[in-house]
Amino acid sequence: MKKALAMLLALVMVLSLGSVMAFADKSVTLNVVTSYGGDDGNRKNFENAVKAYEESTGNKVNDGSATSNEEWKAKVLTDFETGSEPDVLFYFTNADAEPFISAGKVVSIEEIRAEYPDYASNMKGSMMAVAADGKQYSVPSSGYWENMFVNKAVLADCGVEVPGPDYTWDQFLADCETIKEAGYTPIACSLVEVPHYWFEFMVMNNGTVGNHLDVPAAADDAVAAKWAAGLNDIKALYEAGYFPANTLTASDAETVELFNAGEAAFLIDGSWKVGYFTENAEDLEDFAIAYVPGKGERSASEAIGGISMGYFITKKAWDDPDKREAAVEFVSQLTSDETLSTFVTTEVTALINGAKPAGLNALQQSAADANANITAIAGAVQDLLTAEARGDLFANVQNIVTGKMSAEDALASAIALN
Amino acid sequence: MNSMIYKKKSPLIVFLVPAFLFLIVYLYYPFFQNIINTFMKIGGLGRAAEGMNTPWYENYRRLLTDPYMKTALKNTLLLTLCTIVFQVGIALILALLVDTIRVGAQFFRTVYFFPIVISATALGLMFNLIFLYKGGMVNQVLLSLGKLPTEVKASGKVLVEWLDWKDQAHFLFTMFMPVMWQYVGFYFVILITGLNNISQDLYEAAALDGADGWKRTRYITLPMLRNVLCTCLVLAITGALKVFDLPWVMFGAGMPENQGWLTGTYMYDQTFNKMNVDYGSTIAVLIVVLGVVLSNVANRVFRPSEDI
Repeated sequence: MKKALAMLLALVMVLSLGSVMAFADKSVTLNVVTSYGGDDGNRKNFENAVKAYEESTGNKVNDGSATSNEEWKAKVLTDFETGSEPDVLFYFTNADAEPFISAGKVVSIEEIRAEYPDYASNMKGSMMAVAADGKQYSVPSSGYWENMFVNKAVLADCGVEVPGPDYTWDQFLADCETIKEAGYTPIACSLVEVPHYWFEFMVMNNGTVGNHLDVPAAADDAVAAKWAAGLNDIKALYEAGYFPANTLTASDAETVELFNAGEAAFLIDGSWKVGYFTENAEDLEDFAIAYVPGKGERSASEAIGGISMGYFITKKAWDDPDKREAAVEFVSQLTSDETLSTFVTTEVTALINGAKPAGLNALQQSAADANANITAIAGAVQDLLTAEARGDLFANVQNIVTGKMSAEDALASAIALN
Repeated sequence: MNSMIYKKKSPLIVFLVPAFLFLIVYLYYPFFQNIINTFMKIGGLGRAAEGMNTPWYENYRRLLTDPYMKTALKNTLLLTLCTIVFQVGIALILALLVDTIRVGAQFFRTVYFFPIVISATALGLMFNLIFLYKGGMVNQVLLSLGKLPTEVKASGKVLVEWLDWKDQAHFLFTMFMPVMWQYVGFYFVILITGLNNISQDLYEAAALDGADGWKRTRYITLPMLRNVLCTCLVLAITGALKVFDLPWVMFGAGMPENQGWLTGTYMYDQTFNKMNVDYGSTIAVLIVVLGVVLSNVANRVFRPSEDI
């Protein structure tokens, strides 16, 4: 009798454990890494989209998002190389993604569509990034633009006009001098942390929008000379004292706050920063999107922009029968017309039907007005460099501006790593 | 019964082998693999080696000529020296002071030990705010004391020349001070435990002989504390060579102008940010060699006395 009772109890325990496990199996936990962390302007929108996904599917998302910078990019690549990659990754679609694409660690759109034919069907195929092997791997999110943010209150206090689409380099230098004399910092920028915004425009200022994406093959070719001239323009601005006094020790957050607090006049940054000012500015009317001064053949109305990031599904998640559908559903929801419309204000998208952003605030309207005047756009040339070359080049900007290294030597060092 | 336990060796082996295997897999194998990596060309963590370097000792040649490595070594050795003088020194003074008070000793023990339990990342962020350029705590205090130059511009705007605590003139203080502050409590607790082990009879006898407080400290406390002090110094020296997290959070990659490297931060930057895994491995070998040499020297110089 006792034996039978024990057997019965054991059977009940096993069955109840099995039912608990079966119940637990219904919920999948996805590990997701994106750049919608830190002070990203779309962080709130991303968190809302994740919440909506969790509520509609019952799945959980482990959100490992962080601010995008060189360290974050290196960490993502290291995670792939050590086998600890996430299930879904929102990452750059250019040369940065090649290491894990060529290693077969992410799944192509073609392979996903073989099982889920509607996957990314709301996107224009022509605007989806193509990898070196000719395949498409990522579903694009919103695009970006980089341009000049201005603090109108500072400019007004200094008697300087808000720059227009015909703004020239000479006008800019004169304005910087006026602003400096008035006791403000002309340019908010951390040259030690984010020199790349100024690098892009200074390179374009010494070339054209058409040849902006040329990468030097050797340290003594014409493209390298163009890049060196751009770097030397940054050096001239540094020597003139137009950057913050602590530009070589300040973080990006510190110099952006300098601008936000009405202590600096100009800031080159991207569309993602609009959200930051929307949340943190005391009065949005104090800020506007203007134009980076043009020099030589470049007009101030020519800017940097494009679609550079997208959602990848990793092979690890695809091969996991529990996670496959959850990952596909996650990317589909995050890149739906409705969700992307909450991420977009003035940026381009690859959506076939286009995004339908809700009412724009003062700064977003200013960005839309500035973008309406943009005559040509080119992608960021730094995206064509390998992580090693880019890291080396930007780490040497501080050496260039302080005269410890020539721009030519810095380029030779970076080109050797590319 | 006890002697039977020692005669029968098999239980000892059962307990020792797992730990030994663990060390082989997670310490000795990676260590020797790391040495092999220094001769290879590896372009990213986890990637396979692309073959041997040419020449095979290229990374060691670079190690000797790399100016940033020299900076990192100089800063690390300076940090080690500061650790001995300030970390252990201040901990000793605090321990001697707390040992003499009767009320509140437990309170001070907790207060001084507290920084140890806070994560280095949190401390780094906190000290970043304290030493912030514009509006940081230290600069605000200096401004309120009138120690920062100010200029009233024609526009009426008051321009303050904030002190950059991370520039070349100040970065060593800004980098070392939080590290010292964090670990003083650790050595303080070790030293106070050592002080508690000194017999009160000695102090009472000295008091009867007319010895004042200083003489009791000089002729009883410090000699009796020698062994504990030696342990603290060896721990401090080897600990200083491994410092990484707090300086990395505050200064990142070699700030200011590549003058702020430590061996730990330089190794991390080369391995994880520059993807130069083989050179990072070479720096790691140097850190190990430096650690072994300096801890041996420290052990010999501060050899515990057998008389105590």
